[in-house]
Amino acid sequence: MRVVIAEDSVLLREGISRILDGAGFDVVGLCDTGEDLLQKTASYSPDVAIVDIRLPPTHNDEGLQAALEIRARHPSVSVLVLSQYVEVGLAMKLLSDSAEGAGYLLKDRISDVKEFIAAVQRVANGGSAIDPIIVSTLLSKRRSDDPMAVLTPREREVLVLMAQGRSNQGIADSLVITLRAVERYVSIIFGKLGLPATSNDSRRVLAVLLYLNS
Amino acid sequence: MTGSDALLATTDYRPGRSRRHGSSETVRWLRRSLWPCVLVAGVATVAMTVLDSSLEAVDASLILGVLVGLAFAGSGLYAWGRRPENRLGVLMTVVGFTYLVWHILIQAHSSSVYTGGIWLSDSWTVVFVLFLLSFPEGRLNTRFDLVILAMFATVALPLELLWLLFFRTGGSPENALAAWPNSSVADDVDSAQRALLVTASVVLAATLWRRRMVASPPLRRALIPALVGSAAILLSLVLLGLDKFDVEFETARWVVLGAYLTIPLVVLAGILRARLARSTVGELFVELRADPSLPDLRDALARALRDPSLTLAYWLPQFRSWADVNGESVELPGDGSGHATTLIDRHGEHLAALLHDPALLDEPELLNAVAAAAGIALENGRLHVELRARLEELRGSRSRVFDAGQRERKRLERNLHDGAQQRLIALSLELGLLEEQVDMHSDMGARLSQARSEIANSLEELREVAHGIHPAVVSGHGLEIALEQLAARAPVPIRLLVDVGGRLPELLEVAVYYLVAESLANVGKYAQASFVSVEVNRRGNRIVVEVADDGIGGADTERGSGLRGLADRIEALEGRLRIWSPNGGGTRLRAEIPCES
Repeated sequence: MRVVIAEDSVLLREGISRILDGAGFDVVGLCDTGEDLLQKTASYSPDVAIVDIRLPPTHNDEGLQAALEIRARHPSVSVLVLSQYVEVGLAMKLLSDSAEGAGYLLKDRISDVKEFIAAVQRVANGGSAIDPIIVSTLLSKRRSDDPMAVLTPREREVLVLMAQGRSNQGIADSLVITLRAVERYVSIIFGKLGLPATSNDSRRVLAVLLYLNS
Repeated sequence: MTGSDALLATTDYRPGRSRRHGSSETVRWLRRSLWPCVLVAGVATVAMTVLDSSLEAVDASLILGVLVGLAFAGSGLYAWGRRPENRLGVLMTVVGFTYLVWHILIQAHSSSVYTGGIWLSDSWTVVFVLFLLSFPEGRLNTRFDLVILAMFATVALPLELLWLLFFRTGGSPENALAAWPNSSVADDVDSAQRALLVTASVVLAATLWRRRMVASPPLRRALIPALVGSAAILLSLVLLGLDKFDVEFETARWVVLGAYLTIPLVVLAGILRARLARSTVGELFVELRADPSLPDLRDALARALRDPSLTLAYWLPQFRSWADVNGESVELPGDGSGHATTLIDRHGEHLAALLHDPALLDEPELLNAVAAAAGIALENGRLHVELRARLEELRGSRSRVFDAGQRERKRLERNLHDGAQQRLIALSLELGLLEEQVDMHSDMGARLSQARSEIANSLEELREVAHGIHPAVVSGHGLEIALEQLAARAPVPIRLLVDVGGRLPELLEVAVYYLVAESLANVGKYAQASFVSVEVNRRGNRIVVEVADDGIGGADTERGSGLRGLADRIEALEGRLRIWSPNGGGTRLRAEIPCES
């Protein structure tokens, strides 16, 4: 797996690079600006780009703009965005029409090395990785007729993991239940929420997020 | 018009302390004693004609001529008395007397007196032209005026003397100066004189016409007598030319005399009109008693001075500057602006300045009277303007303070983000890598895990502190994205509509963000609402924020510092915050903030 990393803090950039190196990734480019990132993405055609949302020169939204541009210009390159703050609005903007090969994580998650590597792998393979805070924020959203009330606690747990972009196997491992049990929960949840069933992990991430954010 | 018209006249509005230059006693005595002389000269002219010949010989044109002289001398003396500082009155008096005197002299039988009369009749033109060029301020405007005057003077003095040396009347009385009578030389000199006169007259007419074209409307009106005068000179020259061919135009002669007569009458009318205008000062008093607003005060003064272009400036001693009615600092126009400035003082200090048409300088009494009448009102006006200026200053400094605060907050947040937070994340990452290398179930593994979770807590706290200092998402990604996070965390079901057409100034975005955040927090804490609606729209050049819930209402707008702080923030942006919160009727909050599109 080929990776480019765009992060202006040297400590963090080297740290991420070391983690991914250790996990067998091929780190082909380290950049500290959005422009640099776009160039290296074009020349090295990586599988995934890991992008800090705040990049020089203004530290406003250069990182996000670069990420959106990669998604538009190089659909084969997956993008994992890292941010100090997690904003629902930003996540929805990044995923505006597809959650395939897209991730949005809080920077803190990097220190949970195993989880982080799993997330990078998932995104690099065309899946999704959505920060749990986004999902929990959306879940806590108050609505007049709360459909969450119809879900059992176990079904909610499955929904949360599903929204984060986990595969059925991942959910099964996480909750220590069988794959078949996960599949059953998923179809029940989709039925209860009135969502069209889909076997594609990323598509169901978007469907669930859009549903929760509506 | 030239720049020198915009002179600064100083006026003290207190009656009885006029600082206008008064005429000395001698001059006043001279002026008074000239009145009987005018009458004597007039009567003498007619009488001498009557005595000289028979009563039938007194033709109407002679009477009209005497009237012209009398009118000039009379209105000249009157104008001199009304406006001693304007030399026009003196000039008119001289024009009138010269006119009468040469008419008397040419009646004489003595050839030397007669010759003097002929010379004086030509010299009269010089005085008359000087009078026309000095119109209406009583002084020459440009160096070129001197050139024109010199041309007329050349004809009337040296050339006339030369001509008289060669010219014989061939009758009685004879030319006393005809030393070498020679009719052909006399004719040549005469032709030269006429040519120079025609040139000078055309230049004079053109100069006065040009002056009129560039003048302001009141001055244009004031220049009419000068134009009539130059037209009369031109016409009389044409007559002089035709005279050479022995063609008589009786009517044209009448027209010239009529034109001459018009001039002093128009001047007189102007002075009387100005006196009449002073009665508008009385009306001004009545208007000012009603304590007019600032714009009304200006309008009242403009009416009293008959100058619609009038503007007022107030002197603000604390600011050491002039200010307009809005309290904004202004510069008094200097020379060449086409405006004259009259300062109104009080207790030896400036109070206000009238910026008016320069033609008004010709009516110093009117300016004085208006200034005196408006004194108290102007003082009140100044207090208002001073208050506005202070308010403006305060508003400016408040917004600068907010601006500086905002910049400082942003810098702090950036420092936290780039410094402490990144280091903590890197540290946590290091611990994570160590965890990979040790047995998770060992004591070391547990302690590493514990340390990492401590760092995660610190990061969480730091994140909240940083976000409280400055919501980076607002400056980074705009209001719409930032508000979505607030909506996602809203305490009750929410409808969020944001339509502002792109990014707004940062200070404004941050203010709106805090406004919505604080409002939603209040809804959660007090409103007991089941629904809240948040709308942010652009209406023209304003941003309108409305937050409405269906809760219990009765919000105390003074409660806590939250709402007060919000109001301050909105007002610092020149906006307005209003809250309706009837008991049991929900709470509605509406902020309008100006925003240049």
